[in-house]
Amino acid sequence: MTPSEFLAFRSKMRTLSLGALTAMALGVAAMEPTTAFAAPSVADMTQMLQVVDDRQENNGDFKSLVYLEQKEAGKADLVYQVAVYRRDQDDKLVLLFLMPKEQAGQGYLRVDNNLFFYDPSVGKWERRTERERIGGTDSNRQDFDQSRLHEEYTPAFVAEEKLGNYTVNHLVLTALPNADVGYPVVHLWLDEATGNVLKRQDLAESGKLMRTSLYPKWEKAFSATKKADVYYAREIRIYDEIEKGNQTTIVIQSLDLSALDDSIFTKAWLESKSR
Amino acid sequence: MRKLLVLASIAWRNVLAHRVKSGIVGILLFLGAFLVVTGKSMVDSIESSMAKSITSSLSGDIQVFDKNAKDQLALFSFGTGGDDIGEIPDFPKLRDALMKVAEVKAVVPLGSVNTVVFGRTELDQALDKLRVANRRVAAEQGEPASSKGSFGIMDLEASPIGPPHPAGLIPFSADLKLSPPADVAAALVPADVTERDQLFTQIKAICAQLQEDQKAAFTISADKVKAQTDLDNLTKVQTPEFQAQFAADPDGTMDWLDRAIAPLASDGKMMYLRLLGTDMPAFTKDFSRFRIVDGENIPEGKRGFLISKYAYEHFVKNKVARELDDMKSKRDDDGLTFKTDQALSDEAGRTSRQYARILFMLAPKDANELKPLIQAELKVDPKSTAAEDQDLGKLLATFLTVDDSNFNERYDWFYANIAKRIRLYDVGVGDVLSLRAYTRTGYMRSVNVKVWGTFEFVGLESSQLAGVYNLADLVTFRQLYGKMSSSQIAELDTARKAADIKQVTRENAEDELFGSGATEPLVADSTATQKFDEFAGVDMTAATRAAAQLDDRVYTHEDMEDGVVLNASVILKDGASIPAAQKAIEAASASVGEPVTALDWQTASGIVGQLLLVIKGVLVIAILVIFLVALFIINNSMMMATLERTAEIGTMRAIGAQRREVLTLFLLETLVLAAVASTLGAGASVGMLTYLGEVGIKAPSAQMMFIFGGPKLFPTWSLLNVALGIGSVSLISLFSTFYPALMAARVQPVVAMNPKE
Repeated sequence: MTPSEFLAFRSKMRTLSLGALTAMALGVAAMEPTTAFAAPSVADMTQMLQVVDDRQENNGDFKSLVYLEQKEAGKADLVYQVAVYRRDQDDKLVLLFLMPKEQAGQGYLRVDNNLFFYDPSVGKWERRTERERIGGTDSNRQDFDQSRLHEEYTPAFVAEEKLGNYTVNHLVLTALPNADVGYPVVHLWLDEATGNVLKRQDLAESGKLMRTSLYPKWEKAFSATKKADVYYAREIRIYDEIEKGNQTTIVIQSLDLSALDDSIFTKAWLESKSR
Repeated sequence: MRKLLVLASIAWRNVLAHRVKSGIVGILLFLGAFLVVTGKSMVDSIESSMAKSITSSLSGDIQVFDKNAKDQLALFSFGTGGDDIGEIPDFPKLRDALMKVAEVKAVVPLGSVNTVVFGRTELDQALDKLRVANRRVAAEQGEPASSKGSFGIMDLEASPIGPPHPAGLIPFSADLKLSPPADVAAALVPADVTERDQLFTQIKAICAQLQEDQKAAFTISADKVKAQTDLDNLTKVQTPEFQAQFAADPDGTMDWLDRAIAPLASDGKMMYLRLLGTDMPAFTKDFSRFRIVDGENIPEGKRGFLISKYAYEHFVKNKVARELDDMKSKRDDDGLTFKTDQALSDEAGRTSRQYARILFMLAPKDANELKPLIQAELKVDPKSTAAEDQDLGKLLATFLTVDDSNFNERYDWFYANIAKRIRLYDVGVGDVLSLRAYTRTGYMRSVNVKVWGTFEFVGLESSQLAGVYNLADLVTFRQLYGKMSSSQIAELDTARKAADIKQVTRENAEDELFGSGATEPLVADSTATQKFDEFAGVDMTAATRAAAQLDDRVYTHEDMEDGVVLNASVILKDGASIPAAQKAIEAASASVGEPVTALDWQTASGIVGQLLLVIKGVLVIAILVIFLVALFIINNSMMMATLERTAEIGTMRAIGAQRREVLTLFLLETLVLAAVASTLGAGASVGMLTYLGEVGIKAPSAQMMFIFGGPKLFPTWSLLNVALGIGSVSLISLFSTFYPALMAARVQPVVAMNPKE
């Protein structure tokens, strides 16, 4: 399903819903209850998620310069500049810290569901979990990586809602067994008009709300390798729901969709950058 | 005086005449005096022992810290140690000011930070060693290090590795055959080749065990596809084709093991070590209980780390060895047996299942040596073909299955034959430890530091509280504490201004970003797309350079001292008054612009110090309760006696006794009883304290050991406490008798003439 097909599908679904509601109001008893509320099927919702994922995927490479800021109540701000390298086809990701100077050279490498961390101060690699707080902020690997929602979660429909000026579909996603995800349950608010994610809430296994992420700015850039637009969240606001007052902002400052060297997605390359 | 003696003899006669009343009151007064003398002496002894523990091991007599600190200093808190006690920015300046205070003998700088060490699994450790050995082999053979591998270049999955090995689990004795046979290899190839091959065999053995575990876990796995892939990968490792693959491309093969196999091993152990940075020469000199146990002290001018012996034995040691030590302690010290104590029996069961912690650490050579030894120990026929008699893992599991009949023998055998063949401690003396901490500013800092040895405080060897800190030099502390320089602050400010992020709070985030505050379209064409050089103007090697400089440098005493510390221990001259010194220290620090709060050792100890106050409080309450009961009973019985003796008092009054003499008689009766009972009570207490002072009172727990100042408390008594016991009991008994005596004194002589109704 292309984005335009998806929009047509949503529009049709919405018309059905309104029609059903009108019919109910008129007291048409013959109306089948199953058609009275046109909640999307699991397949439809998985398709919605695939649209979200496909839009953000680039079948070539993806390099960005990211500004990362963490605010904590009663503490000085944490500020980083990070180079992000993605090769979606191979599910590879490298995060390399560039600023502050003291942290430059630290980095993460994701390969084959392994997340490794390198620290040049001690010259060692460590295996880290999906819940790793990148640079001690509220962000995790998934915030920088390719979106794989339809591969990692099973969706369920909650409701059609309003989020500020936008009409959104509220879904709840449950992680598939053995999916390599930071949080097992995710609530997602998808903009009905564009299909983009506007809001996301991550929950722990117990159902406790851990963090809320807002995506107020989406941009698209043409990818020569994909021969289509690649969508990316220009700005992500992550609010810590446990430590109230803590928030992380991720801003993509520069983006380059050109091919990257194979050697970038290796431990050797990451080590070499701080030597 | 004569009259008083007469009254006293009447009083004594009356005490004897009313035996039941005197007995009850006397027992109460006996108990009261016993409790006062014993309780006060015990509290004094604990206070004195605790003072020695704390002041001579860490705190000194007084602790000083930033006067404007958010939290109060607590050296021995049970929490995370994350209190904000501010900073002493210029320690040398403060020390010079404090050394001018008459009572001060020495000032020792301190600063603590919580660190974490990311442990590595046995497989990770073996892979690390294999990488190093392989590089050495490549260098010796004049080959460039393999350029293959390094994640993603080599596709081992696609390589024609072939079907799984039918044998599955390959025993340690299997010859790798990557190099000539072992006896020939020693003559023909460098030692590194042999080491490389042996490490590869060790990795295969670990994978064989993981394969067995994976087979067991397969049936309950939710994702059968992944479980089967993992099992297939583990099976591949045992095949001859995999060995050939390793010989052809060691780097690529190791990368594959790192990606596909290493995650299947259980997580590496994380160690949390609380680091206390200090001026080691001063610390060693001024804290008499400090002593090095293993290795050596940090040499002057060097950076380094000393692990507390307690942490070393309880957290760093091999898990099986720790469990055996713990069971031995419970049997020998606490008198428990496997037969009667279920918890101990369960612990033994757990230990036997931990055999892989030994198996994975054995180099093939050691494994081959150990197998016949353990077979002999277990009296197993070496020619037996049964798996449990030949498989080293199963032999180890059997060996670790202990009961009351074999424990002591197995324990000794473990340390004589197994301990020397494994890495008994995750971190050894001489190793370089990578310590990590989240700094006060939130950034993560890591630093490599050499472990020079282990230490303990004499008498507090088994105390967890005394072992809570690990020692390091001040430069290492400052690295992990991470105070920002002005240039670092400026760097962050510049980046923050350049990013120009609009601040949006959680409360109105949805409205600000998607409602009334949203001014931009939700989706726009990219404004960030461009070719860019992420490394332009970026200094990528600062951290590496700083780390190298840290390692190479020799530090002067001034280098070590010069900079921020968080607190300091002040040791006073003998006999100096702590309160007076506190005042003088605070005044002296304020006069040089480094104002500090000076806490006595007890307050600075945190919850441990407060425990003494709790003990005192409990004692006071107990004494008050018994005195209240005594007061009530004495008062009541004297009132009853007064009523019973109305005729007697009336007669005394009729034959000329004055009211004052009646009053005195009643008070004397109580006083005589109190004097006898309290003297006996105090005497019993002194007898018991003298005995306990000889044999000691064993600390019931590790926490109490810290409070007792060692494994046993040796209480003492003093004349002052005896006098306090007798005096307080006499006073309370006089007080409780006063009103009944007054009533008796008011009895009229005519009452004696009235017949009893």
